[in-house]
Amino acid sequence: MLLFRSEDHVDAWLAGRARGEIVPVLQLVELAYAWWGDRLEPDWRPRTREQNQAILDRVGLVGPFWSLG
Amino acid sequence: MTVERRIPYGRAVDSADRALRNVTYRRFVELGRAPDAMDVAEATGMPQAAVRAGWQRLHDAHALVLDAAGRIAMANPFAARPTTFQVDSAGRSWFANCGWDAFGIGAALRADSTIHTDCADCHDPLRIDVRDARPDDRNLVFHVLVPAASWWNDIGYT
Repeated sequence: MLLFRSEDHVDAWLAGRARGEIVPVLQLVELAYAWWGDRLEPDWRPRTREQNQAILDRVGLVGPFWSLG
Repeated sequence: MTVERRIPYGRAVDSADRALRNVTYRRFVELGRAPDAMDVAEATGMPQAAVRAGWQRLHDAHALVLDAAGRIAMANPFAARPTTFQVDSAGRSWFANCGWDAFGIGAALRADSTIHTDCADCHDPLRIDVRDARPDDRNLVFHVLVPAASWWNDIGYT
């Protein structure tokens, strides 16, 4: 899971290899805040697969690649 | 002792292990590094062997990640070892495991942050200021190679 200056830099880095998924930084930040925002809360509970999938869905990361199985 | 009935990907986490996990995370924040078993034993009053056994259960539940020697490798989003993602926030500094986690440290601390990393392609240094959950550089992109269903097959690689 790597950061790049732009999509052009992703393609240069891949050098013809198949792309994974590209996530714009604003969407990544939205995901990070939804995913990690509870980590230091005293009442932290492990999330279920369904709860994690709901976070991915909510930030627009949908489709087979983003299915937690 | 209550047990979570709906578990995400691994074993259940009971209330005692949740408390151990919370102290481990708190010490990670306070120390600016991963705590060792002695740090957490002192903070909890537990024997070090009990701390290590609890960490193993938490590892199995994907609540933290241990290395082969049983030390904390990741308490996501915090990384135990230096990485290419250094995050300054709330007057301290930590390493993150990846770009996603780098933004997660400010999220977990509920504080603004500055991420120091580089472009994985050209290796130009990147300084990203995150204020009120908004990054100052909106052109960056994140590339995810491993499909979500396989993330925990090798979380270090992911």
